Amino acid sequence: MLLATLEGGPRHGYAVIEALRQSTGGRLDLPTGTIYPALRRLEQAGLITGSWSVVAGRRRREYRLTPAGDRALSGRRADWRDFSAIVTSALENTGLENAACPSPNPA
Amino acid sequence: MPESEPRLIRGYLEVLAAQLPGPIVEELADGLTETHRSYLSRGLSADAAAEAAVAEFGPAEEILAGFARVNPARRAARRLLGFGPVVGGCWAAALATSRAWPGSLPTRVGLGLALVSCIGLLAVAALDRRYRVAFYSGVAGCVGFAALDASLIVGVLVVAGVASWVTAVAMAFSSARIALCARAAAAAQQNT
Repeated sequence: MLLATLEGGPRHGYAVIEALRQSTGGRLDLPTGTIYPALRRLEQAGLITGSWSVVAGRRRREYRLTPAGDRALSGRRADWRDFSAIVTSALENTGLENAACPSPNPA
Repeated sequence: MPESEPRLIRGYLEVLAAQLPGPIVEELADGLTETHRSYLSRGLSADAAAEAAVAEFGPAEEILAGFARVNPARRAARRLLGFGPVVGGCWAAALATSRAWPGSLPTRVGLGLALVSCIGLLAVAALDRRYRVAFYSGVAGCVGFAALDASLIVGVLVVAGVASWVTAVAMAFSSARIALCARAAAAAQQNT
């Protein structure tokens, strides 16, 4: 999900969490401070890269997707769609089977 | 963070700065300032906005624990500790088969103590949750192991003049460990 927030271009930590809140309609509300270690982990994995700039006299670190991060995002999206389709199919088919074959009445 | 920022935010950042490197604290300070401004723009007073911003950021301990998990020194220490028995086993086999224990008895005892110290430093780096302690222990352990490996290679090859296939394998593993230490040091530098 963090990778997806960087798809539109570079963002700093606070902008990442804001984008995440907006994209999930506020339903995913993580403590802002926990985003920063997660961004470092993605950077260490080579999926994003960070660079410093100066904004309003403060140093700011912005992150952008690397080509490897872009590929990882595409791969994880595809995996999630497959997983979601399988679970949806299993739940819906199970419901249909139950409707078609009601359990025998013990009485 | 400027002087005008509320004491609550300053205190929160001081707790983080006691454990984390300066650049990480700067990044967190920027995020906290943005969060504070966001609450100010919604009409909260400076103190209320500071309270809300700190609450939104989460407990400082949680952030410190998060950074401890991604500490590059911790990861490097775990790798080196995992790799250590392989290298140690190769050297034990090489020295036992060639009977070329380098140096006098005090030198060997010194090397043994240095080895134990390096393992201890890496164990601290791998397990300690305090970022700075883990970082400096890890760097010291990496430097120590690189120096030990270099001493063994020079001692056995140049001084004792031993070159069997077993020692060649041990030296190859030691060289790989030196490269791993250099890579870990570079990664640590990049992440601070």
